[in-house]
Amino acid sequence: MQWTVDQPSRRDVLRGALAAGAALTLGGGVTACGARGDAPRTAGGDQWRQYQGTTLNFISENTAPTAAIAADIRPFTDLTGIDVRIVTLELTALVQRVALDLASGRAQYQVIYADPYQVLAPYQRGLVDLRTLQADPNLPDLPGGVEDFIPAQLDAAGRFVDAGPVYALPYDAPTMIWQYRRDLFDKYRGRMAADLGFDPAPGGDRTWEEYFRMAEWFNKNATSDVRYGTGHQARQHDSLMNDFSNVLWSYGGTYFDNGKEVGRLGARDPGPCRLDADAAIAGAAFYQRLLGIADPASKTWDWDGVGAAFRAGRLAMCPNWHEFAASNEQVLPGKVGYAALPKGPAGTANMYGGTGVAISANTLPNERGAAWLFLVWATSPQTQLANLKSKAGGGTPTRTSVYELPEVRAAEQRPSQMPNMLTAAAVRQAWQADRIGLRPKIPMWNECNTAIFTQLSRMLTGGASPEEAMRSIKSRVDQIVARGWVA
Amino acid sequence: MAHRAASSPVLGQAARPATRAPRQPRVGFEGRMMTPGLILLAALSIVPFLALIAMSFSRVRLLGGVALDVVGLTNWVRFFTDADMWMSWLRTIVYFVLTVGLEMVLGIGIALCLYRVLRGRNILLGLLLLPMFAAPSIVGLLGRYLTDSTFGLYAWVLRSLGYGGDILGSPATAFAAVVLMDVWEWTPLIALITLAGLSSVPQSVREAAAVDGAGGWMALRYIIFPAISNVLLVALLIRSMDAIRYFDIIWVTTGGGPADATKIVPVRLYETAFRFFDLGYAAAIGLAMLAFSIIIARTFVRLLDVRGLTR
Repeated sequence: MQWTVDQPSRRDVLRGALAAGAALTLGGGVTACGARGDAPRTAGGDQWRQYQGTTLNFISENTAPTAAIAADIRPFTDLTGIDVRIVTLELTALVQRVALDLASGRAQYQVIYADPYQVLAPYQRGLVDLRTLQADPNLPDLPGGVEDFIPAQLDAAGRFVDAGPVYALPYDAPTMIWQYRRDLFDKYRGRMAADLGFDPAPGGDRTWEEYFRMAEWFNKNATSDVRYGTGHQARQHDSLMNDFSNVLWSYGGTYFDNGKEVGRLGARDPGPCRLDADAAIAGAAFYQRLLGIADPASKTWDWDGVGAAFRAGRLAMCPNWHEFAASNEQVLPGKVGYAALPKGPAGTANMYGGTGVAISANTLPNERGAAWLFLVWATSPQTQLANLKSKAGGGTPTRTSVYELPEVRAAEQRPSQMPNMLTAAAVRQAWQADRIGLRPKIPMWNECNTAIFTQLSRMLTGGASPEEAMRSIKSRVDQIVARGWVA
Repeated sequence: MAHRAASSPVLGQAARPATRAPRQPRVGFEGRMMTPGLILLAALSIVPFLALIAMSFSRVRLLGGVALDVVGLTNWVRFFTDADMWMSWLRTIVYFVLTVGLEMVLGIGIALCLYRVLRGRNILLGLLLLPMFAAPSIVGLLGRYLTDSTFGLYAWVLRSLGYGGDILGSPATAFAAVVLMDVWEWTPLIALITLAGLSSVPQSVREAAAVDGAGGWMALRYIIFPAISNVLLVALLIRSMDAIRYFDIIWVTTGGGPADATKIVPVRLYETAFRFFDLGYAAAIGLAMLAFSIIIARTFVRLLDVRGLTR
């Protein structure tokens, strides 16, 4: 018997090599995709160091508290041995990344800056109920417990629909307040009082109608100091909804029935939109009138734009987020005052825009434990106090105990090393249950919000009357809500 | 044992009837050579395209892994009955005509002027081409800062000329501004392509026209334009394809506002897909945009085909 063995040709060798290479690459790729190790854990010993050697990714909006934490993350790493990589993005980009990360089933970002309206409400199923970690005896407790967080903020930023589970811990608390040029009010107070017939001191007792008259007065009588009495964040943007909502609520308008509850805990199906009510239309009519005498550039500004214009000395007053105090005090030291927003016929409302930090439900057990350590540290009173003093950012505390610290109390008066605390009196009023302005926390809010600020923009550019705009918003929001939400 | 003989295709063939033609391999040499490329194309284009079609008939779930719930024609019915969407299409067409039209007119004009410049043409050309090298988002940011009413140069100039409004604050001026930003960036490309076309027109032909008494306009109308029309068609095709998917500048400057005045279809598509995560409806919008692009491209390709330029 004779066997003849072929010599492989050069082509065969090349083909074989190519096939082997492809198989290796594919195999390696599949293995790499499939393999996902949990973080290391050392059982026993110091609770804070049990996950040392872990790396956490924290995705956040580019906000003041995160800037402060990023600038001073060393204490956490020293305490835990955990390395934290922080990615900061503009909010829209953050929401995209978070949604795609949650969809991937893998937690590239273990710690998430969970905006209540754009992350928590639509993707609540993708977040961990933090009570499970708080109850774990192997993990450290929250100092002061969840009760130390300001109650309205804990509900608004941390819960969804059900009053039990907590999905996020309050992390920042921007709130819209009245910011005004104190120096100009001092200078013109007498003349204004004589001309207008009331004391123009800004505060929660003033009405929106009086705010309008003061702005008009500045337009006519103080052009050597400022170009306009008031400016607003009325660009076709989320900011326009925020700015308008303060007026809407104070005129008695509401987005949905049971608006306070839909704002505080949220709802999956909020029912029909109520912006076609007379009170809402009256609020819209006033807002249109107010923007008629405001700086025309208001229609191009979001909160950053109006903040920059105010600091540039262009405006006598504006409603804006209280965390702009830090930058105001750098540019106009001692010249800016802060007060709760004016009231309308039905009361007053100050839009709250706070956010929580949450943990992705895609995390593996040890990663989750490590992420909890970061949450406890990042929201602890010591860290919030350090953030207040930080040169890199700031933010404002979300814990009652921090506001009660003597050095924080002292910082509420000038000269202050914690400029955001100059707004404390105003925000303390604004956070009262009957004054806090909470937009609807519903899963489809992003699309509803777009319909709202787009139609408001139409109203402000003369494309629709207040009544048409409100009815148009109602019809669009009802359609969006009727379609429901799948995540 | 004649192992080799039994398995040899060559000897095996010899045993078959002589009249039968040798069988052609199902995939030829060229086909085998194209296979890797086709696999890559399938992975990058065909599979996503098929996925897009499937998504357009579904509601897409994200959490717990991407899943499609079939909803039939719901997304397409919504697409055809959505009044806001039709307004966006109208804006897109107006925007398309204005940008591409202005870029063609200005680009040709600048190229004709440059062609007549003998000294320093290269320096002028270099300066002219600068906007083209900026990323569109940077152009948007530049435009935003230049038109900002607090510190913008253009806003200041317009204010000194008596314009009291805000450029990006009213629908008409905001639309004009984003059109002009695109025109500023891409007119140089048209000028460059046209200049290349002009350089290919033989000097002798132009001299002959001049000797025959053809003036500037006549030479342009009967000699130059016919000679460079094919090049202009290619330039038009390139810019048209780009203008249909215009996004960056609008997103950076106006975000689609005010009052949706600058919300063209690509902006609405982005919003639907990546802000509202309504991926099923976004797939329907994306497919419609693809169809629109194909129609525009086919129109130009057919024109080129008529002129025998695609062969």
